[in-house]
Amino acid sequence: MNLVDSLVRLFAMVQDHVFERIVEPLLPLLGLMEYQEQAFDATEYVLIGIVEIVLMLLLFRPLEALFPAEHWSNRQPTHIDILYTLLHRLGFIPLVMFALMWPVSISLDGWLRLHGFMPFTLDNDFPYLLEHPLTTFVVYLVVLDFAGYWLHRFLHRLEWGWALHGVHHCQRVMSFWTDDRTHFLEDFLAAFWFSMLGLFIGLPPSQFVVLMMVTRILQSFAHANVAISFGRIGERLLVSPHYHRVHHGIGMGSESGPLSCNFAILFPIWDILFHTANFATETPPTGIADQLAGRNYGNGLLLQQWLGLERLSRALRGLKA
Amino acid sequence: MRIFLLWLVFLSGLVSPLASLADVAIVLDSGDGTITRIDRHNYQPIDRFFVGREPHHLMSLPDNSALIVANAVSNDLVFLNPDNGNILYRIPRISDPYQIAFSPDKHWFVANSLRLDMVDVYRAQDFKLVKRFVLPSMPSHLTFSPDSRMVFVTLQGSDQLAAIDLDKMAVKWQIPIGKTPAGVYTTPDGRYLLVGVMGLNEVAVVDWRTATIVKHIPAGRGTHNFMPLGDDRHVFVTNRAEDTISLIDTRTLAIVKTFSVPGGPDCMEVSADHKELWVTSRWLRQVTVLSMPDFRIIHIIPVGRSPHGLFFAHHASRQ
Repeated sequence: MNLVDSLVRLFAMVQDHVFERIVEPLLPLLGLMEYQEQAFDATEYVLIGIVEIVLMLLLFRPLEALFPAEHWSNRQPTHIDILYTLLHRLGFIPLVMFALMWPVSISLDGWLRLHGFMPFTLDNDFPYLLEHPLTTFVVYLVVLDFAGYWLHRFLHRLEWGWALHGVHHCQRVMSFWTDDRTHFLEDFLAAFWFSMLGLFIGLPPSQFVVLMMVTRILQSFAHANVAISFGRIGERLLVSPHYHRVHHGIGMGSESGPLSCNFAILFPIWDILFHTANFATETPPTGIADQLAGRNYGNGLLLQQWLGLERLSRALRGLKA
Repeated sequence: MRIFLLWLVFLSGLVSPLASLADVAIVLDSGDGTITRIDRHNYQPIDRFFVGREPHHLMSLPDNSALIVANAVSNDLVFLNPDNGNILYRIPRISDPYQIAFSPDKHWFVANSLRLDMVDVYRAQDFKLVKRFVLPSMPSHLTFSPDSRMVFVTLQGSDQLAAIDLDKMAVKWQIPIGKTPAGVYTTPDGRYLLVGVMGLNEVAVVDWRTATIVKHIPAGRGTHNFMPLGDDRHVFVTNRAEDTISLIDTRTLAIVKTFSVPGGPDCMEVSADHKELWVTSRWLRQVTVLSMPDFRIIHIIPVGRSPHGLFFAHHASRQ
């Protein structure tokens, strides 16, 4: 048995242990026995989240210490982002979103089939993809990244979107923990966006667990406080910490108006194609411009969420968020 | 020279590693969308290849000319060579097939859509959809009456057992059966249905003619799925949460033996010589092989994520 097989075997044993000793006994008590298989998958999600967090700590924390883009006197303001990361990567937010979106998605899917419409899926309708699952994964990754680009762009360019997305952008000490710092309504919006998209193109293959983990870690890396650029060509192929720092830069990308830029999640090609790329070389401070004038976006999670709702209320009344 | 080369090509086909195997076990790795082929002689995985999204269950065509894999998320059926597992062809646009079965008279093919709360009845000869039933919640497993007039479906989400009259193409009855029913099996004498009720840790015995529960057989935690021993009398039932399997005597309707199998035992296969019981250990990514009749673990075979359906050609009778 080689190293990879041994690691897979070890992971399977840990997953089995956690599931059978902790999760499964809870299901009958919660009246959720019928969701045993989903609970097993959720256990895997949480364990992968733990692996991700450990890897990020091991990889990115030393890099932030060695090659910081910004020098901070203390890291205390990053701690709230750790809480957001735990809520996301350990499955709490995804579980809530799943519980909210699953019935909607299933009802709509069932209704479509009852009316003779079988949802389109990329791999079923392109026979080549059917027999090449890795290619299918890459195609879905690109398509979903494209959809992510537009959602992100809407969150900046629509006033009500920016009202929510401000929670993500108001972090003035942006670190690899910042990726998951979002308003919960934005999470819901994203879940809805991708669920509806899934109805029309199918869902991406779920078997490439390691690759999915890598894409999530890359998104965290893009937020890391590191002075790392991928070079003239690399900056145009994959979102780097520098490229994304420009997106979060005060007076640069971190705006609601037409100046906002660099919306790409993984692949900058979308910014290049739709003229929203900014390959500036300077390293701007992160945050939102009106924070310099004293606007409060909240330090704690609850206040940040509440102030986001207040801004949303203003935006929906036609006022500036 | 040309004839000699043709002979070489022909012989190389005969002696290719897969074709030389007398017996191959086929395992559906539902989490990976793959099939793991296992050499039944040395208990080693031969290879693993992609078959579709979420393949959960598989069964033979009535004439044993092919093995059907139901890919729930890919919405298709994949037909395999039952001897070696090679893909023969696909039938696309079969809606969310989770559990599948042919009626004993080979007239109907029924597919349960667990995710979408539907039961689809197809004409078996050409897989043309005849009727789609929307049932309360999570149609899981199914079995037929011996005369093929009824199909019985467990409803995992609404805790019911439903009977569909295939002559009238109508739901005949739905009865409460207990929390989270899963596997359902028609006893060899055709009188009763055995239902694995996961939430009650029991097998419910149902007289399907009167739609009444006539007996409760306490089993292990998470009583789940059935596989006959092949002696026209006994049937195994997995207790997936307890990591055990019980053997039930269908004449006395009592458990005669219970033994341990790790990692969430789910689907089973019994060898034709009755010397081995193969089980997918769902939570441990392995197939566990036990010797019979002592039910001792003799082999553990690593496979893909969430292994579910299991098949080999030289299996015991399904009665």
